[in-house]
Formats: sequence, C-alpha cells, structure tokens
Amino acid sequence: MINIDQEAWDLMVAHAQKTYPYECCGAMLGPIDGDVKTVRIALPLENAYPGAQRERYELRPEDLLFAEKEARKNGMDLIGIFHSHPDCDAYFSKTDLENSCPWYSFVVLSIQKGQFHHANSWLPNMDQTEAAKEELQHPNA
Amino acid sequence: MPKILIPTPLRQFADKKDAVEVAGVTVGEALSALTAAHPDMKKNLFTDEGKLRSFVNVYVNDEDIRFLEKDKTAVAAGDTISIVPSIAGGK
Repeated sequence: MINIDQEAWDLMVAHAQKTYPYECCGAMLGPIDGDVKTVRIALPLENAYPGAQRERYELRPEDLLFAEKEARKNGMDLIGIFHSHPDCDAYFSKTDLENSCPWYSFVVLSIQKGQFHHANSWLPNMDQTEAAKEELQHPNA
Repeated sequence: MPKILIPTPLRQFADKKDAVEVAGVTVGEALSALTAAHPDMKKNLFTDEGKLRSFVNVYVNDEDIRFLEKDKTAVAAGDTISIVPSIAGGK
C-alpha cells in the first residue's frame, strides 16, 4: 500500500497541472515500513523526452541518481516515480510498462482539461509484461 | 574495496544492507562479487544470458559507465558504484 502525505501530494498535483498539456514526472521519497510506503517528499523532475511530451516522458538516470541521494540524505527510501496522463485515464500503458522498472511504485495522475481527475499506483512485474494495481491513499481520494 | 549502493527494493536480497563493499578492480568484477555474495540479486540485475537488464544503468561516482569503459571501467577503494534504472513511459 502506498500512502501520500498532503504536502507531497499537493506538489505532485501542482507539477502535473503546471506541465499540462504535457506529461510531467518526478520521484517520491519516504519511509517503507513492511508493506506500507509513505511518500513524504515529492521531487518534481524534468521530462527529458526529446519528442512529443504530450504523450511521453523520460527521466534522466542522473536525475534519478540525485533522487536516490536525496532519499539517503533524508534517511528515507526512493519509493517510486510519478507521472501524468494529460486528458486520459490513469492506466499503466504499454509504453509505461515497457519502459518501467520492477523495483518501484508508479503513480499515474490523470489530468483532465488541466485539472487533477484521479490517480492510480502500479507495480510492474520483473519482465515488464504486466503491472498490478497497488492500493493508493492520497488526500484527494 | 569499492562500495556498491543498494537501491531500497534490492536490499531484501543483500541482508537488508544499503551498501556493500566488494572485491574487484572493474565494475564487472564488482557486480559479479555482489551477485556471488547475494545470489538473489542476480535476477534483478542480469538477464538469463548474463547481460545487464535493459533498464539497469551503472554509475561510478557520478559517471555513467556507458560513457566510460562499460563493465571494464576501473574501480578502486573509495569509489562508489550506484545502480540506477532507466525509466520512461507515456499514455
């Protein structure tokens, strides 16, 4: 289960709405206690996809390395990645799946007409052939 | 000995350690030493053919080994090896 604190959530939604109609991305940091992950810090990161960012996002590995370092510095863990789907639902697409990593939670925010609509969290499997829906709790749920 | 930083989700395969010091004078040797000591780590990092999984990037200090000498990149005591995934996607 992944639980997102108010402050981190507000930052994620603000980042997704600000980048609309383009996809946003970022990292989520916090403690992991057994099966419960709590996002306390959201780190908005730049979408580095070189093409149409209305439909794609890409994280620079060095930005993820920075996020990992920030987590360690704060005594936290890198819990996962968030990104937005402008004007479509918060599913985990084939593109998301094939370019994901089985180690992390993937929170997708659906932004409809510039405003937050709904969100889901996904856990890809090792071969990146399917993703299971993860229970997600956030202030707008 | 170089130190390998273990990403959180992989610590369960490394006796819950967040970093492991390993023997080896190249990145390839260091990663082999890591997976020899912690065999369950192997399937997370390597394919059945023994190649690094497509989403796995390796950094020595702040340098991507793809722009150095890949798995032949030299490492020494005091160097930090980081395992960083490639992540992208889209609707």
